Amino acid sequence: MQTKNTQLSIKSYLDLSQLLEEYKGNHEENRTFALQHEAFKNDPLTLLYLWLNKNRFRVTSHLKSETFLTHFLTISTVLAFIFLLVGFLTGIGLLSYSGHEPVNIIYYLLVAMVLPVVSLLLSTLSMISDGLLSRFFNLFFPLHWIEKFVEFLPFDNKIELSEIKLSSSLTKWMFLHRIQLFSLLFSFGLLMALILMVMAKDIAFGWSTTLQISDESFQTLLASIGFTWQSLMPNAIPSLELVEISHYFRLGERLDNEMIHNANKLGAWWQFLAMTTLVYAIFLRFIVWIFSRYGYQRQLNRDFLALKGAQRLIKEFTTPYVSTKSPKIEKHLEIIPETEEQITETPHQGYPHIIGWNYSSSEMQLANDSKSIEGLSVETVGGRHSFREDEQIANSIDGTVLLYVKSWEPPTMDFVDFLEMLIDNDEIDEIQLYPLGTVGRYYESDAKDIAVWKRKIQALKVERVWVVDDAEQ
Amino acid sequence: MMQNSKNYPKFAVVGHPNKGKSSIVSSLALDDSVQIGDTPGTTQVKRGFPLKVDGKIIYELFDTPGFQRARRVLGWLEEQESVPADRRADLLKIFIAKHRDDPRFRDEIELLEPIMEGAGIIYVVDASKPYGAEYEIEMEILRRTGQPSMAILNLIGNEDYTEQWKRALGHYFRLVRTFNPIEATFNNHMDLLESMAQLKEEWTQPIKVAIDVLNGLHQQKIDQSVDTIVESMQKSLTFVYSKDIKGESATKKEKSSSQTAYQQQIVNYEKEREKNIEQIWNHRSIDKVENALVLDDVGLFSKESASIFGLSQKALMITGASAGAIGGLGIDLALGGGTFFLGSIIGGTVGGIGAMLGFNNLYEVKVMGKNIGHRQLTIGPMQNINFPYILLGRALFHASVIAKRSHALRNSVVLENEASYTEQLIDSEMRKKLEKLHLKLRNKDKCNEEIIEEYRKVILESFSNLLK
Ligand SMILES: Nc1nc2c(ncn2[C@@H]2O[C@H](COP(=O)(O)OP(=O)(O)OP(=O)(O)O)[C@@H](O)[C@H]2O)c(=O)[nH]1
Ligand SMILES: [Mg+2]
Repeated sequence: MQTKNTQLSIKSYLDLSQLLEEYKGNHEENRTFALQHEAFKNDPLTLLYLWLNKNRFRVTSHLKSETFLTHFLTISTVLAFIFLLVGFLTGIGLLSYSGHEPVNIIYYLLVAMVLPVVSLLLSTLSMISDGLLSRFFNLFFPLHWIEKFVEFLPFDNKIELSEIKLSSSLTKWMFLHRIQLFSLLFSFGLLMALILMVMAKDIAFGWSTTLQISDESFQTLLASIGFTWQSLMPNAIPSLELVEISHYFRLGERLDNEMIHNANKLGAWWQFLAMTTLVYAIFLRFIVWIFSRYGYQRQLNRDFLALKGAQRLIKEFTTPYVSTKSPKIEKHLEIIPETEEQITETPHQGYPHIIGWNYSSSEMQLANDSKSIEGLSVETVGGRHSFREDEQIANSIDGTVLLYVKSWEPPTMDFVDFLEMLIDNDEIDEIQLYPLGTVGRYYESDAKDIAVWKRKIQALKVERVWVVDDAEQ
Repeated sequence: MMQNSKNYPKFAVVGHPNKGKSSIVSSLALDDSVQIGDTPGTTQVKRGFPLKVDGKIIYELFDTPGFQRARRVLGWLEEQESVPADRRADLLKIFIAKHRDDPRFRDEIELLEPIMEGAGIIYVVDASKPYGAEYEIEMEILRRTGQPSMAILNLIGNEDYTEQWKRALGHYFRLVRTFNPIEATFNNHMDLLESMAQLKEEWTQPIKVAIDVLNGLHQQKIDQSVDTIVESMQKSLTFVYSKDIKGESATKKEKSSSQTAYQQQIVNYEKEREKNIEQIWNHRSIDKVENALVLDDVGLFSKESASIFGLSQKALMITGASAGAIGGLGIDLALGGGTFFLGSIIGGTVGGIGAMLGFNNLYEVKVMGKNIGHRQLTIGPMQNINFPYILLGRALFHASVIAKRSHALRNSVVLENEASYTEQLIDSEMRKKLEKLHLKLRNKDKCNEEIIEEYRKVILESFSNLLK
């Protein structure tokens, strides 16, 4: 799932978190975006990153990451410098040779080897544990306390910083990452001091301890410390002879003499000390630093994916976008409401001509009987009749015409054409349009169906055309 | 993109005016923006509704205006010299070409065009009205296009002339199906697609794909709805309103205005959720009738709402008693005492009583920060045990109504058979699961991904049941 080519930064993380609060895009846009970046379809992290870059401009407020990074960088730079300086000064302090007493290499080893190893151990423990336990390990680091202290200092951007919420795991990795870096700088300071002192002064190194350790076993101990470089640089391992001549007791005059005697040889320790610093304080630290970098990046990637809204975004990247709607916008049809114009409630008892639109002759008879209406001539039009047949009927009649229509069927233009032929026939005095309901309902119509007919007729604005509306209100 | 434009299946929904063509298209295309109306001629131009997956068209439906001058078209066709069957379709093409600028045939051309470009025919009739011979003219024209076709019986009114129609349509269409765009369920929709797939062999596969796509889309919408409900529940249950106050303690006025503000926010969360749900299910135009929403009339904080969506007194007793603090007395006693009240009084089942008290103790009003200097009045999170159920009940009900709602409907949402929903929405088993979850959800610190996931599952199950 994770990618090697995208190196997300804390800035991207903060920016995405801010962006997602303001803008999420929509499924269509996000899916289109993902399809435009097919190459990364199995790489949500990169997709998110690219999406962020594309949409970052949408963040309307000030980017919180900028404040955060400025603050963070300033503090880190200051701390880095301090650690380097402290390392250097510690080195100077440890190697200060007054001329009265040799420099005890055990002190130096404590700072350049034991301390780093302990600190590396703690770092490793903190890395592999999580939650409370790792927080407990972190308490041992001075940096932890320094940062606590820095938080108390008044900064004008403090309020904005408090809005930035990083997960505890990420905070841990950030912390561990920085610990390694600062420790590395400290050790560089130390090494620099050592080299500087060795160059600028002649230092008589010695070793002294209250413990009962023979020269032989001390030499074995030192040799095992230096086992990594023993074969490469045998000179950087103190010989038994060197160990013997540098062993001193504060109260013994005897050895002092011997030391003075061998003063030129005592300087040979520096190579060993330099190598110890290089290997334990710098090289090992460097490796752990790399690890912490990796861990930090991994955590950052995880948190990136866990950002509120990120999963939804990823889902939208991977889910095909389905659309069912029409791309065309429809014009709204305006409806003019019907009025009471040209309406009659009851038909006459008899007509010279009765015409049925889309009715058959037998249906006409049934309707006439049921409505007790008589006609001198009863004709059917529309339906399967040809246009010509209809035309003939329309032109051959006169007087008042009753025109049956099926109320539930809407007036088509075909019907309107026929009606217009009737209107064009000047012999016709009046046309009464009678919308009938279905036989099943004894010809009773729905008011809304009749309304359709009324609107149609009223729109024609012809005084000779009426609608018979016998629907119960 | 252009090269496959000929290959995907197309369907033209045609027929007499006002027979529900647009309704059918609207329901199939899940699009509530289609103009549907009592007035014949509502649809004036053809309109394509492509089903697109990532921009690729799987099939396309066309809504068309109804036949207006079918007789003249057929008359023209018959006037032409008799042509062999294989070239009859060309005649229609000639008709279209010749009359393109003739306003009399505008509707006919609009509806015939997609068919002549290869669309299958879906002929819609209203089977609640009697069959008439005039329909044969339309069917005859459609037959002359030579395109595969089927008929849909739509029952708009109360009468039923299905048999009559089937007999007549059988002469012109191999497939006759009944489909009611207003009442059609998701499964009816899929069944209709299956029928459409049979129209032409090449269409079977793409329509199968379409069915899969639509199934996936349906599931996706269910998931999104559940996410929306869960998120909204979380927001409402954890909401805390706070306000700076001047005096030692809050005045009556400060208290009541804060309570109103608190309630308002909860109501806003609900509105926001409803809008999101409507959007998920493509019911955007419901917004227009928002005031008519009966759901709104039954206010969130009303007695009606509590009685419809909240738990019954008995259920509350159980819930309240086990969720609240009980001193020694169990549920058995509380219920075994004959009356619930007796049990609760003896046992001092605080939760049980509190749960029943209704909305006066919805929330605690606290004054905070006495020692820091500036005082704050805070309300929430909601302590009332019944409240989450009311909120959830309303959410599930609204979502299920929206999810099942046909896109052909243009009326407002109505809350029907309210009482019957209570049991269906939250049954006792679900309630047991919800009890603990609601308590945890309310507590922002204790709430984690797992709890939300568990809650999601319960809601999903309930919602899916409601959609069956
Ligand atoms: N009760 C009910 N009403 C329906 C049904 N189908 C359509 N209607 C109603 O019938 C009327 C016409 O529906 P439309 O979908 O606009 O019909 P149409 O065929 O597209 O009409 P035009 O575009 O005018 O040709 C509307 O008032 C619909 O609400 C149905 O299945 N049941
Ligand atoms: Mg229409």
